[in-house]
Amino acid sequence: MKKILYISALMFVFSATQIAAQTNTSLTYSMGFGMGDLGDFISKASFRGATLDFRKMAQPNVGVGFSLGWNTFYEAKDYATYTVETQSLSGKQYRYSNHIPMLISFDYYLKPGEKVSPFFGLGTGVMYTRRNTDMNLYTFQQEAWNFSLQPQIGVQFNNSITSATTIMLKYYYGLKAGDLDEPQSYLSLNVGFVFRQP
Amino acid sequence: MNRIFKLFTVATLTGLVFGGCYPGGADYTSDYDAVYTDFNDTFNFKAFNTYAMPDQIVVDIEITNDGDTIPEYMKSIYSDPILAQIAENMANYGWTRVDISDNPDLLLSPAGQSSTTYYYSYWYDWWYGGYYPGWGWYYPPYYTVSSYTTGSLIMTIADPNLDSPINRSPMEWVGVVNGVLTNSANITRALNGIDQAYTQSPYLKIN
Repeated sequence: MKKILYISALMFVFSATQIAAQTNTSLTYSMGFGMGDLGDFISKASFRGATLDFRKMAQPNVGVGFSLGWNTFYEAKDYATYTVETQSLSGKQYRYSNHIPMLISFDYYLKPGEKVSPFFGLGTGVMYTRRNTDMNLYTFQQEAWNFSLQPQIGVQFNNSITSATTIMLKYYYGLKAGDLDEPQSYLSLNVGFVFRQP
Repeated sequence: MNRIFKLFTVATLTGLVFGGCYPGGADYTSDYDAVYTDFNDTFNFKAFNTYAMPDQIVVDIEITNDGDTIPEYMKSIYSDPILAQIAENMANYGWTRVDISDNPDLLLSPAGQSSTTYYYSYWYDWWYGGYYPGWGWYYPPYYTVSSYTTGSLIMTIADPNLDSPINRSPMEWVGVVNGVLTNSANITRALNGIDQAYTQSPYLKIN
């Protein structure tokens, strides 16, 4: 934990002091696939999400910056009975889980400047999670600020020196926090555009 | 031009993703139907076999300036099938319905709730005073009362022979069919909810 904080702090300093010429901003549509506790709560994939990734190129093949995302998972459950100790409640449940990761990230580009440029990276920071379970006229809300890690791999298809299209696979893992008893994790598949400032 | 294209793309994506498709929820009123039950797990229902139940359902009371209470009853075209459904479920679980004068083991009180903000204990004090003179009961602190909404059908079971310093018996079972008694004349949802309340309360079965 301490180590990760040191690395995050170093990244911050690194990104602030390096004044490189180029920036790399991607805006992507994000599809989410819940895993672990989130996957148990909502088994359906999320098709509602977006991610903004900003990187300043510290070196031609190293980008440092931040990642801001949002994914909403939703599932309408069939009529069922839920029992806790002596109490039972039957009805339809509507389940929502919103995730907003806010991360400091770095990427390493294997073939920078080439037409097809694969990369991998890691982000770390916090993820705000809000889980709502709606039943009858009531909603049961749980919130958490999860300390998060997010490895990713992707490819950029360069159209020109200033633009590219991209596809990324990100894995979000938020440690147990707040009202939620389990870590929150999901995979996201992102597609979108990259804008560059040369 | 490039800048306009970027702005356009960002605006379009943002609009599509954030604005257009936040997930919905219930489509029909019946999607909100919920049935809640709770019971005292130290109470042995199998030690009893008779119960009494009123033949009317109170939906509201009016309190006059001098403190008298005037009950409002559910019309019998609605209350009769509801009471019959409760009686049928009790019979299926092995219970025998007897008259209040025949010294029943337990008392079953059905009530309809026309207002969410009603003061329950006052209401039930009256209810028991009217129908079961000399008896009263109370909600133990672990029962959730606040989540009953307008139009709920509430069924309670209490043992009138259990005494307490406050002259009231604790409630041993509660079944709430939430929000099904509406302006609609159709009470099918209420009847289905009664069945569900018994289905999810197998501990009431004594046969």
